[in-house]
Formats: sequence, structure tokens, C-alpha cells
Amino acid sequence: MTRNISALTAHVLVLALLLGIFGSLSLGRDEARVQTKFTGELERNVTLRILENDTAKEKGYFGELLAAFNKAYASYGIVAVDANMDQYTDLEQDGPYGYGPDVLYQANDALMKYTDGKHIQPLPVEQLSCYDQISPEAWEAYTVEYGGEDYIFGVPVNIQGPLLYYRKDLLPENWRQNWDRDQDNVPDMVEYWTELYAYSKQVRAESGGSKFGYMKSLFDTYFSSGFLFSYGGYVFGAGGTDSADIGFSAGDASKGAWVLRQMASIMNQDCIDDTITVNAYSMLANGTYFATMTTPDVYTLFLDELAKEYMRTENLNETDAYAKAAENLVAADIPKLPASGDLEDRDGETVDSVMMGGINGYAISAYTKAPNAALAFVDFATSYEMISRRNELLGIVPARADVATQAGGLSETVNANLMAGQIAVMPSIRAVAQIWTPCQTFFSDLAKDPFRLPEEQKYQTLEALQQALEAVDEQIYAAIHTLN
Amino acid sequence: MKKRKPIRWGSVADTAITYLLLLAVGFVFFFPCLWLILASFSSSGSIYSFQGFFPSGYSVDSFRKLFTDTAMYDYPRWFGNSLFIATMSCLFGTMLTILTAYCMSRFRFKSRKALMKTTLVLGMFPSFMGMTAVYLLMTQFNFINNHWGLILIYTAGAPLGYMVQKGFFDSIPNTIDEAARLDGATNFQVFCKIHLPLSMPMIVYTALTSFTWPWSDYILPKLLLKTKDTWTVAVGLMSLGETEFSRFAAGSIFIAVPIVILYLCLAKHLISGNVAGAVKE
Repeated sequence: MTRNISALTAHVLVLALLLGIFGSLSLGRDEARVQTKFTGELERNVTLRILENDTAKEKGYFGELLAAFNKAYASYGIVAVDANMDQYTDLEQDGPYGYGPDVLYQANDALMKYTDGKHIQPLPVEQLSCYDQISPEAWEAYTVEYGGEDYIFGVPVNIQGPLLYYRKDLLPENWRQNWDRDQDNVPDMVEYWTELYAYSKQVRAESGGSKFGYMKSLFDTYFSSGFLFSYGGYVFGAGGTDSADIGFSAGDASKGAWVLRQMASIMNQDCIDDTITVNAYSMLANGTYFATMTTPDVYTLFLDELAKEYMRTENLNETDAYAKAAENLVAADIPKLPASGDLEDRDGETVDSVMMGGINGYAISAYTKAPNAALAFVDFATSYEMISRRNELLGIVPARADVATQAGGLSETVNANLMAGQIAVMPSIRAVAQIWTPCQTFFSDLAKDPFRLPEEQKYQTLEALQQALEAVDEQIYAAIHTLN
Repeated sequence: MKKRKPIRWGSVADTAITYLLLLAVGFVFFFPCLWLILASFSSSGSIYSFQGFFPSGYSVDSFRKLFTDTAMYDYPRWFGNSLFIATMSCLFGTMLTILTAYCMSRFRFKSRKALMKTTLVLGMFPSFMGMTAVYLLMTQFNFINNHWGLILIYTAGAPLGYMVQKGFFDSIPNTIDEAARLDGATNFQVFCKIHLPLSMPMIVYTALTSFTWPWSDYILPKLLLKTKDTWTVAVGLMSLGETEFSRFAAGSIFIAVPIVILYLCLAKHLISGNVAGAVKE
């Protein structure tokens, strides 16, 4: 019996060893082959299909980019065209059959999931003009380690960190006297969550419940998990690479959950699902909401809605309406949180908010027939001129430090936040796909809590919240590792 | 003096309750349509600017944008694509379904029963069960991003639902066929000159169902059509941005136009056929 078990164990170990050796050899060969694809010699007379996001197309940036690139590379016969696909198209599904784009612009978590199946290829990023201008933190989001070596699979373009959007014209007239206690000429309610909480209560009370201060869909993991991170929580350990170490309950994350619960109490039940995410554009424009939180890339959508509202209600012409909207719509850095985790604690110490973020960038499909031309396109699209133009037209926060410095304001702040660790970049591993459902279920339940009858409320203590967060960690662990 | 009939209160109450119930049910079905129609005429473009049930202002801007602002959302092209796919699928699908039903009803051949049972069982499986296999097959035939790939799938799948048509052919007496054959008619002539004219209501019914399935299908076009210029209306409308609600509503309203026209044109045949069928019985 013992001999049989030993023999079986020996066979399993030998098999595992052989698989490991062949696996790593095959991986090594693949990576080496991919690297040699970038010979530096441009393929001639080729057409590159570029996948861009819809806002870039809508605002005309993508058209400008294609025209400029095609003009610059006309002598090589290289033509870049719109891939004309859904912006969230899945390369994993279409690429192997030859239907995917050659170059993709997507978020880091979307792009990096393609590395598992080698659907995108590692890039010789040192050859790109943007290389030195992009911070190591941003490159990190596109880096994967294979066999002890780091490979970079994407080129960061813009940083997606949450911002607080608010209407300057909805501030109380006397805000300098009543809402600027630190006398820094910035309204306290956009600097501190405690003040925004107090102001939201006031707005709601004064309007009889028809208007709100801060509103946000709290079930949204992308925006709500930051409150846990601000008090010590994290997604995965080892810099986002260890999916066995799940940390939504780490540190004092329960304080962040308590903050969220308090926030729910100043909103209405729309915060339980995605209603506010969808209606925030209109509601901020018509003055029902004073502030919300979202990413920089939708700035133009808010601007359009507000301008339309001014045209409709104040009979302004388009130019004046847009000018007024640009003046009154403010995107600000995320306010500071109370160290105690209690939004009623207006006089206590504060801590910086750490929010979940992402880094959108370009990657090159492993199925492209013109990798060198594709690399030339990425180089062109991430040049100083094109990123400046992108920033100008779309209001994005550039990952290039030189453009961010030149743009100043929020671009610089968000870049600084990324480097200071105040933006927790979504981990670039496939397991991240498993965090959303358990977290959404918890956040949704948490947002519902203040609307329950007092005897039915589940999260009235930090201990209860801690237990719930630990359950979330366990659910995520099970989702990732069961059957794996 | 004519004596007035006494009012039968029970009958009045019965009629009133029936009408009230019908009105309530009708309202339940009509309400979403009415809301969507009103939303499509909303001047703000957003459902969140409604004052209760009604939009705060009305305009035809959404319809104008639907057909003129095509840079991002090319509705006319999507509409044309849907129309082409649905029309072709309708033509070929109807033909194949009628032929299959006729064969199964009128001819006796080996494995007929087995074939009927197999098709019956296969028809019970939802079409999206074989999506992965369909996708792989289509890639091999180079039918991705190709409307004919969709037409092939819809057409090939249509005859699986031949049972209703077979039931109709079964109800036409065999003696008619025999009489025709005695007069020297071939099988094809019997089918074309006798059964087809008698089957007009069934052909109309088959054509309508063969048209409406591809016209409103979302899953298959989403799977097989990758580039925006090949999309159908259903896929295109789902891609509209969060702030484009009234355009979405206008697109959804307009999508009903061909179906309504088809029904209006073919309803006469459908009804007269039903009546004719009743007389035969």
C-alpha cells in the first residue's frame, strides 16, 4: 500500500515537473518570439485597425489623430483606420479568428486580462518617446513578470482616478462666511467629507427632501471600495499580484464602510443601485444634486448636459451656455476623510482619501500582421503633441508627466496622487474579475441599511461591518480559488 | 305600446366588469408603449427630466438626430441591415418551412416518424445554447461580419418550427390531392396549384414569424457582427450612451414601423384564411 502511494506520488511529481519545464520553455519561446517581432523595420502598405473609446470619437480627437498619423506615415503606405467596433470589444474572443483590432485603447484591467492567453504582446517601450515621461507607478499597471523578467504590455495614456464633480453656482451665497472654516478660499464641503455630509443634510432639509448634496450609487465597487482603502483595505496583497491575499477587510476598513453607511443616510434609495450613476448627468444639470463622484473621462458628458440645461431654462445660445457650464462645473480632488471614520466628527483629524483608479492605455494585438507599424502608431499617439491635444479636447488626466505639468491643475494633482499612493490602481491580474459581484452585493446591502426599520438594520457597529467585510474576502477567495 | 324589456342587472354588471377588466389589461400593455412614445418626443433627451409621467418639453429632435446625426450612431444603416437580414430570412425561411411541413404532411418515407421526433426535440432547445459552436463554424465559413451568415442561421433554423404548418396541411383532405393526380397533376403541380393557394393564411403566418425573429433578435447579431457598419438596429440601440435615452426611445419606436406595415398588409389574408379554414372544418 505504502509502495503504491509512493509510486503514485513520484509519478505525479515527475509529471508536474515535466509540465512545469515544458510550460516555462514554451512561455520563454513565445516571449522571445514576440520580442523579435519588433524589428524596427516598418511594414509597408498596411492598414492598422485602431480601437478607441467613444468619447474620443465623439469629440473629434480620434479623427484628428488618424489624420495626423496617416499624413506622417503616408510615405510608408501605412494607413490607420477606425476599427469601427464596440469600445469594449473582447480581443480574447475575436482576436484569434482575425477579427480584432491591431491596436486597442482600454483600461489596464481590461487589457491585462489578455496577457493570460497572450492575446497582446510585450512591447519594447524603451523605444517610445513617452517612456521617460511616464511614472514607474503607471508602467507598473502594465507590467507582468514571467520567469523572473518583467514584460510591459501596454502604454499608459491617461489616469482614471475618481474626482468630485460639483456645481459652483449651487454653492450657498454665504459659503465664504459659513463654509470656509480654514479660510483657504475653497469651500469646505469640497475639501472634507465631513463638511459635505453636513452640507448635504442641510440641502435636503431645506428643500424638503427634493434636493440633495452629494449623491452617488454606493453599490459601485469602483467608487466605494476607495473608502475601505483609505483606512487600510486593499484588493490583493503583494502589490496587487497575490490573489490569495484579499484585503477588503484589512486594517480599519470597517471605518470606511461606516462612512459609506452614513453617506447613504443623506441620499435616497437610488444609491442602492446604479440609478444615480445613470441620472447624475441630468440631475447635476437641473440642480437636484449638488455633487457626485466619477472619473475625468466623462467631464464632457456633464458639460453637455449642463449647457443644454442652460440653453433650455435660460434661453442662452450655445456658445454662452457652454461658457457658463464650463465656469460652473468643477471637477475637484476627492475630499479628505475623518480619521475617526465618523462623518459627524467635523473637528477631528483627517486622512487623505485613497480611491480605486485605473490607467487607460494602448496595447498591440498579438494577431496584428504589422507589429512595427502598430508600435509606430502607439508612439505617435502617445507623443507630447497628441496627448496634449487629447487633454485639451477630452479633459483627460494625462499619464505623461510633461503634459500633466503643462496642463497643471487636476492633471498634476491626479498624477501626484498616483505617485503618492492615493490612487489604488486596479490590479492587472485576471482574478480581479471576481471582486465585483461579492463587493457589489455587500455595498448594496450596506447602502440599504439606513432605509431599513431600526430593528432590522444589520450594520450598526464597526464589528458587524468588519464581519461582513471578512465574509466578502472569503467569497472572493472562493470565487477565485475554488476549482482552480 | 311596445313593452320595454326589463333591465337585467346581472347581465349589465357582467358586461361592465368584462369591459373594465379588458380595459385594465389593455392599459397594462399599452402603458409602456405610450411611455416610450412620449419619451421619444422628449426635448431634453433624458428620462430624468420628466415631470411625473410626462416629459417636461416635446420636440421631434430625437427623430431628426436619429436619421441625420450618424457619425457615432448610424441608425439608417442599422435599419437597412436589419431590413435586409429580416427580409432575406423571411423569404428563405418561409419557403423552407412550408416545404418541410408539406413533405412531412403528405409523404410517407422511411424514418419519417424518427425525423419528426428528432426535430421536435431539437426545436425545444433554445438557439443560444449552441452559440460557441455557431461562432466557431461561422469563423470557418468566413461568415463573421457577414449578413449572409446570419441569414443562413435564421433560414436553417426556421424549418425546425414546421409543426404548426404541418398541422394545417394535415387539415386539407387528401382526396383533393388524389383528384388532382387522377387528372394528371404531378407532385409539384399539386403543391403549387392546390396547396399553396389554400395555404395562404399559413404562409402569411410563417412569413410574419420568420420576419419578426431576425428583426428583433439581439444575441446572434451581437455575436457575429463585429463592426458597427454591419450592426442591426437591436445591437446598435444597445450601444447608445447613457445620455441618449430619447434617441433610444425614438429608435425603438421606429423599429416597429415595418412590423406594423407588414401586419396591416397581411392581416386581410390572415383573417380570410382563418375564416376559410373554419368553413372547411
